[in-house]
Amino acid sequence: MNIIEIENLSHRFADGTVGLENINLSILKGTFVVIAGRNGSGKTTLLKHLNGLLLPTKGVVTLFGRSVAKNLTWSRQMVGMVFQDADSQIVGETVSDDVAFGPENLCLDRTEVNRRVSLALETVGLHHHKDQKPHLLSGGEKRRLAIAGILAMEPKVLIFDEPFSSLDYPGVKEVLAQMISLHQVGHTIIVAAHDLEKLIAHTDRLVIMEKGGIVRDDLPSHLLGDLEVFGIREPCASRLGMEVHSWLN
Amino acid sequence: MAELNVLGFHAGNSVLHQLDVRFKLLFLVVISLSSLNAFIPSLVLLTLVLMVVLKHARLPLKMALKDLRYVLLLLLFVFMARSLSVLGSPVVEFKGVTVTREGLYEGAIVCWRLVIVIMTGLSFVLTTRSSEIKAAVEWMLKPFPFIPAKRIAIMMSLVVRFIPIIFEQAKKTMEAQRVRGVENRKNPVYRLKMFSIPLMRRIFERADKLVLAMEARCYSENRTDFSLSSGVKDWIALAGVVCLCLIIIT
Repeated sequence: MNIIEIENLSHRFADGTVGLENINLSILKGTFVVIAGRNGSGKTTLLKHLNGLLLPTKGVVTLFGRSVAKNLTWSRQMVGMVFQDADSQIVGETVSDDVAFGPENLCLDRTEVNRRVSLALETVGLHHHKDQKPHLLSGGEKRRLAIAGILAMEPKVLIFDEPFSSLDYPGVKEVLAQMISLHQVGHTIIVAAHDLEKLIAHTDRLVIMEKGGIVRDDLPSHLLGDLEVFGIREPCASRLGMEVHSWLN
Repeated sequence: MAELNVLGFHAGNSVLHQLDVRFKLLFLVVISLSSLNAFIPSLVLLTLVLMVVLKHARLPLKMALKDLRYVLLLLLFVFMARSLSVLGSPVVEFKGVTVTREGLYEGAIVCWRLVIVIMTGLSFVLTTRSSEIKAAVEWMLKPFPFIPAKRIAIMMSLVVRFIPIIFEQAKKTMEAQRVRGVENRKNPVYRLKMFSIPLMRRIFERADKLVLAMEARCYSENRTDFSLSSGVKDWIALAGVVCLCLIIIT
């Protein structure tokens, strides 16, 4: 079953720059999709259409068959987005306040808000930090807090925009492990990245973007040889003719 | 960033943390006004009470006072102004400038009162979430028919949320300019221009990102607000504060 359907999507920014050009894409429920491409290829612009942060100039984006543009609040609840800069996503004064921000916006009663906050913090392993100030967390913990913030809204799809940017090795492993465990419990995962090294072993499908359009869409193993044409570095193991392994091993 | 947030809410389970924000606001106003009329015995009593309360609340006072170091300059200025302007028996005379005993006494009293006000405010800020303050502002503005209470409260809470970000951006901009030798430029107008333009640009960019992040999490005026509730504890605390203030002003 397709959870997301994008038909003839084009987006032009206010200054006339083309952000996206005639995108057609369907995403199956429960898949782990990576959207790759060089900087400025349109990855983030595409992701922002999935929860209505940007609206199409032309075309339609549907989620479970319902138009995103016509159901903004519902779409944002269904599609949780973790931004590239985790700091900019943090709005609460304590870790638990920040996680409660989303459920409070959904006008849930206080008991339900508290239940969701506890569950989300336990899922990402930050329960013992619940009273801490978010800005005192490490990079990996901040990214996990951002994930908890969207998990508390109980979304079906999780979007990650460059989830490993400015993270150290332990931070990358923490976030990657979190993404994989969320995928295993049934979430649909969509990741925008320009570096496939850490993700490729876990990806079901690879979509490559260039100049606002989709230029490749296939199994990752079928596209490894084409990556560098589009400004994406081929994973090390693949360059050496070896099998690509998970960063978690 | 961490040190810039020290003046924000610090989680805890003390009585101060548990009190209803409306009562705390009332205490802040009443204690501040009473302290302005206090002299040495009352100030000693107030200081002792405040120290006990702050110690019980386990607040990061040292760090908070470090952030408030510039206020100490203001206090020093007030102290000097009082010492030099109040007439009385001279203690030091130098080139026509006289420091009087009465001036020193008045300066010390005024500074002590201001310290009490600052410490009371600090204990309020450190033990109260901005969402609680927002709910209290909304509650207080509700009786006024033509004031959009919800909108004002939201604007206020957003400003509170954004203050640390402004400080963070200012620090980053300053550091970026220092490494490129801006301190060698002596013209303050040039330095102000080179500092403020990129700072404003950064602040607006951060504000844009914050808005997007909040929109992505369905932010709107209608949300589950902090539920205000008062109990026996608040009324007992009110009785205590009223007694304390009566002792101070009599």
